[in-house]
Amino acid sequence: MSTGQYSASVVEHFGRPHNPGRLPEGPDVLYGTAGDESHGARFALSARIAAGRIAEARFEAYGCPHCIAAASWLTTRLTGAALEDLERWSWREAATALDVPAEKRGRLLILEDAVRALARAWRDLGELRA
Amino acid sequence: MGHEYGRGARALVEKARAQVAAAIGARPECIIWTSGATESDNLAVKGVARFRGDRGRHIVSSRTEHKAVVNSLKQLEREGFEVAWLTPATDGCVHPDQVEAALRPDTQLVSLMHVNNEIGVIQDVAAVGRLCRERGVTFHVDAAQSAGKLPIDVEAMNVDLLSLTAHKAYGPKGIGALYVRRQPPVGLRPLIHGGGQESGLRSGTLATHQIVGMGAAIELAEREREVDAARIRRLRDRLWEGLRAIGGVALNGAAEQRVAGLLNVSFYGVEGESLQFALRELAVSTGSACSSGAEEASYVLRALGRDDQLAQSSLRFSLGRFTTDRDVDVAVRTVAREVPRLREIGGWAAS
Repeated sequence: MSTGQYSASVVEHFGRPHNPGRLPEGPDVLYGTAGDESHGARFALSARIAAGRIAEARFEAYGCPHCIAAASWLTTRLTGAALEDLERWSWREAATALDVPAEKRGRLLILEDAVRALARAWRDLGELRA
Repeated sequence: MGHEYGRGARALVEKARAQVAAAIGARPECIIWTSGATESDNLAVKGVARFRGDRGRHIVSSRTEHKAVVNSLKQLEREGFEVAWLTPATDGCVHPDQVEAALRPDTQLVSLMHVNNEIGVIQDVAAVGRLCRERGVTFHVDAAQSAGKLPIDVEAMNVDLLSLTAHKAYGPKGIGALYVRRQPPVGLRPLIHGGGQESGLRSGTLATHQIVGMGAAIELAEREREVDAARIRRLRDRLWEGLRAIGGVALNGAAEQRVAGLLNVSFYGVEGESLQFALRELAVSTGSACSSGAEEASYVLRALGRDDQLAQSSLRFSLGRFTTDRDVDVAVRTVAREVPRLREIGGWAAS
């Protein structure tokens, strides 16, 4: 099997993913998950918030190489992001950056769901503290 | 065939016919050359059904047959035939009692593969052959995966039609054969019409060079069969021990009743396409829907009751005459590195 169906960025992120894992629970740590194994993709994002920004992010991803690469790429973009950035984030950014083929975009929507879940958790945390 | 070159070619074709016939305990005149097992399966299944269609339109087969049989039978269903699709046990075996229970007075054909191409499970074709002979039902066996790997005797097994292909026995691609019983004769309606070659069952100029290659390959495979099988079985067992040690793995298909050169394993907590890509340096194939372009996970593994995740994360390891201990060690080492890595990325925890 060649690497032909995957872009160079996908191959790179798949082989050496950035920020894999899950942050340990803490008062400033948020989680957002979406998908399940029977649908071929599951994402679990975790982020630590400091001064209204994401200080660090981690991901767990069950899925095809595009899924793993997209989640890895996403975590590099999440560092420094504000709540509004999460609420605006679209799967199209990952699709463009990683050259994801059309038939895989449904899986990126699941990643978008995980980002939205993370944003909801962040908003809930803010309301709790208000 | 009047000229010298033609006579020479004819002699070579007949020698190959005798070589293939000898490997399955048949008479040479019962061997019909085809383009491969797919054509043999089509000719056998559609040929019998259409020939005997006025006597009855019921056929018995299983859900785990090769696509060449499955899709030929689906075509027959569109033509008004009724197919009893038997579901094998979770170990992949179709029990002869299941076949017996499915037989009806109007059953014309039973089609069952000898060895499954995905999981390597061996079916008890001799027992099914006995049943069919007692009931006067034509019995077809797809032996693409077993020729040169298991003993085959069409007389002892009461087989009426047997599909063979050269390339699974290290022969050339694009050539196969169908054994057609002459005593008692099996009626077949041909798929290809033309100059009436091969007793009118398969018209078209014979591919002499391919046929000679198939004859030599099948004879060699049969001669080396026992030595090869013992060596390959030892390698396969070594591979399985190595994979099992990784943990969270499930063997697909019966542990004992299987051909030496095939091992099909599912991995918990790993997605199939990523698994295949991570193992791209190895020659393995997966049940993953994405990589095969199919819409669903392996229909064979689903028929055995595996869920989508396990069916997709299956790997089929094929071992053969040229596989070495080193190949097995490299395979185990690579899988033992990549499966835990992907599980960690996915946050999978063995329960």
